[in-house]
Amino acid sequence: MANVKVREFSIKWGFLIVMGVLFISFSILQPAFYSAGNLFNVLLSVCIFGTMTLGETFVLIIDGMDLSIGSTAAITVMISAYSMVVLQLSGVAAIIIVLLLGAAIGLFISFLIVKVKIPDLLATLGMMFLVQGLQLIPSGGLSIGTGAVLGNGKVAQGHFDEGFKYLGQGRVFKVIPIPVLIMIVIALLVYVILSRTKYGRIFYAIGGNPEAARLVGVNVNKYKVIAYVSSSVIASLAGILLAARVGRGDVGSQGTLLMDAIAAALIGYAVLGVRKPNPFGTILGAIFIGMLMNGLTMLSMQYFWQDFIKGCVLVAALAFTFGLSKKR
Amino acid sequence: MNLSSKPIVQVENIGMSFDATRALDNVDFDFYPGEIMALVGANGAGKSTLIKIICGYHSGYEGRILIDGREALISCPKDAYDFGIQTVHQIINQGVIQSMTVAENLALEELLSPDQPMFYDYKGIRKRAAEIAALMDLDYLDLDAPVFTIPQSDRQMISIARALASDPKLLILDEPTSSISEKEAERLFVTLKKLRDGGVSIVYVSHRLHEITRLADRVGVLRDGKNAGLLEKPFSVKNIVHSMVGDINHEPVKKEDVKADLSSVKFEARGIIVEEGGKPVDIKVHEGEILGITGLIGAGKSELAQVFFGINRPYSGKMFLKGNPYEPADIKEAIRHGVFMIPEDRSNNAVFPNFNIRQNIVAPFLDNFSNGLSIMNTGKERQEARRMIDSMTIKCESEEASIDSLSGGNQQKVVVARWLMVEPQLIILDEPFQGVDVKSRNEIGKYLRENIGRSGAIIIATDIDEVVDVADRVVVFNSGMIVGEQIAGEINKDKLIHWTAQAPEEILSSE
Repeated sequence: MANVKVREFSIKWGFLIVMGVLFISFSILQPAFYSAGNLFNVLLSVCIFGTMTLGETFVLIIDGMDLSIGSTAAITVMISAYSMVVLQLSGVAAIIIVLLLGAAIGLFISFLIVKVKIPDLLATLGMMFLVQGLQLIPSGGLSIGTGAVLGNGKVAQGHFDEGFKYLGQGRVFKVIPIPVLIMIVIALLVYVILSRTKYGRIFYAIGGNPEAARLVGVNVNKYKVIAYVSSSVIASLAGILLAARVGRGDVGSQGTLLMDAIAAALIGYAVLGVRKPNPFGTILGAIFIGMLMNGLTMLSMQYFWQDFIKGCVLVAALAFTFGLSKKR
Repeated sequence: MNLSSKPIVQVENIGMSFDATRALDNVDFDFYPGEIMALVGANGAGKSTLIKIICGYHSGYEGRILIDGREALISCPKDAYDFGIQTVHQIINQGVIQSMTVAENLALEELLSPDQPMFYDYKGIRKRAAEIAALMDLDYLDLDAPVFTIPQSDRQMISIARALASDPKLLILDEPTSSISEKEAERLFVTLKKLRDGGVSIVYVSHRLHEITRLADRVGVLRDGKNAGLLEKPFSVKNIVHSMVGDINHEPVKKEDVKADLSSVKFEARGIIVEEGGKPVDIKVHEGEILGITGLIGAGKSELAQVFFGINRPYSGKMFLKGNPYEPADIKEAIRHGVFMIPEDRSNNAVFPNFNIRQNIVAPFLDNFSNGLSIMNTGKERQEARRMIDSMTIKCESEEASIDSLSGGNQQKVVVARWLMVEPQLIILDEPFQGVDVKSRNEIGKYLRENIGRSGAIIIATDIDEVVDVADRVVVFNSGMIVGEQIAGEINKDKLIHWTAQAPEEILSSE
């Protein structure tokens, strides 16, 4: 009896307790950790993949998986740089172009999954590759910055729009970074949609039993399209934040974004023991990763340990979510 | 048949439980060499479980299996196989490997045997395959064709031929004729009789009772996981069904309880042909009427329901709702017109396992519980869910309890409640009593009768009693057409049973 209670308690609160203990330990071991400036740094370090993972949540809820979001964010970086630096378009135009591009990628993925009937994991794996390659083509495989020499010998004359850069570098009241604010706004929006509206209910219904959803009158394919388009558009938005922060179009910008985003969402399953994709857990999962990296770096962990640690956290969280709850 | 000989396989006191469900309870059967024993029972009676135990698919059963009088431990399919027990399962594509050729499938045993040389012996396999094919006169098959290119019926024949090739002592066939043509079935029967005369013991599972009366030497009956009779020749469809269904202690609807308003037609299907080549069906449902549709599995009942609910478009024919043309393009449109359906197979088609009771109940009508911004009003949801839980006497902790915490009968009530929350024009219940205990079944039936109001209802069930207990009028489906109709107060179950099981031409010519 007592055992059951202990298990139920740890399923529900275990993750948050671990997070709290880590936070306190870091603060004691390295007082600089516990400063407003550094805490915003933590948020700043997670806000790009944190935003992406909020989009991924839609797809995970309908029992799918989108592996292309890292590439979508990367192509957004390149195309927004290309629009402003090479084509000399305004920042607003660049934003509209890349968001439309994100929507187009999402639509194409949906087409592959819904119409061509490729399994989601494979369709998005293929698109990950395709988009990752596509981003290199406009600039001839080179990074794009003001003054860069393009493949045809011309020198790029344009520059990043100041307003555009503000999205990545600005701070409200000189404290709260804009991209963190954007992540929080999107998180609230996604939370309301998924937890409070009938659309959220329908997404969860499809994830629980797609056939039953179809038989209560849900157009399952329509919602699949909405999920994949949301995922891609939000990935583009994250790409905008990334481009705005670095202020140039780097060919290697995607880094570990995809892995971090998926890890955050999966770690989020463990929060409050809900065992399902949820925006609240997703954000906490992202912050958990960021806090851990920040804290360990401050305690002079070397950079090459990062991925290993993240992997350990992810495996532990999954074992916790699935292993403990299985015995219920 | 020689009953003086000793049984080749005996099962004694076999029991098996899945969680809370008792699938088999103290079942005994003896299988003799040189006989065809038919095994019959309604859905969920335990036939498949018994077969799966004998062929080694389920371990952890109670009781024992004797082979040639000695106790045999069968804990995996290989054990059964080594004892000379061969099984042809109902699902054809589990019996063949689709990506391999006909020859490879026929000679699969040789192909996978450890005695095979390291390099693929194409000629040897092909030669063996040809021998096996000859057993079932399958010489017309192209041995080099991949199995996914040949028809389902040929795949079935391959499975059967392969089972025969190893000279089994006991051959189990689970619904072997469900997807082959009559001509192929005839060929199968000839082969089976030949095998029987050669001393093989055959267990034949089928819902097609007229096949059984022709083929079987004895009929073993299972009901609710228990032995329910062992019939000797001569047997009729009637006494087989009687053993399957049991003594009837139900109360069919009485004539004076019928409240249907026969002067106003709620729903009408005129000349509906479900698929090309099918036969036209005419059905009327009146206001306040519950129409029962019964018939064997595969008689075409569910397919018709799917047309009414907008899942499939009919090949031809017209439908009317309150006299107006009704042509639903999809499920959503059917629901908008007030035509609802409770699908068969609750766990696959109806229950959302990740939702609590409240969320399961309100699922089809989210618009009724959300405001202009689509924000859900949880308070209103709880209120409605509470109302349905009370009125349908759903046993649960609260409306927020998980759906898994409910018994099968109460889960079914939740699914029914989902569609009775709003007044329907026509509600279709497809096998609503599958996996539902008797008490819940009576309560659901009673609730439906008391609350039908001015709606129309169609209740579909293979089990005749399930229909007769609730319906004002019963029609019988057989081979995709209606072969008979009876009204409450004038129900003659024997006749209904005959209508379901006989060949339709015979019924129509005798009427």
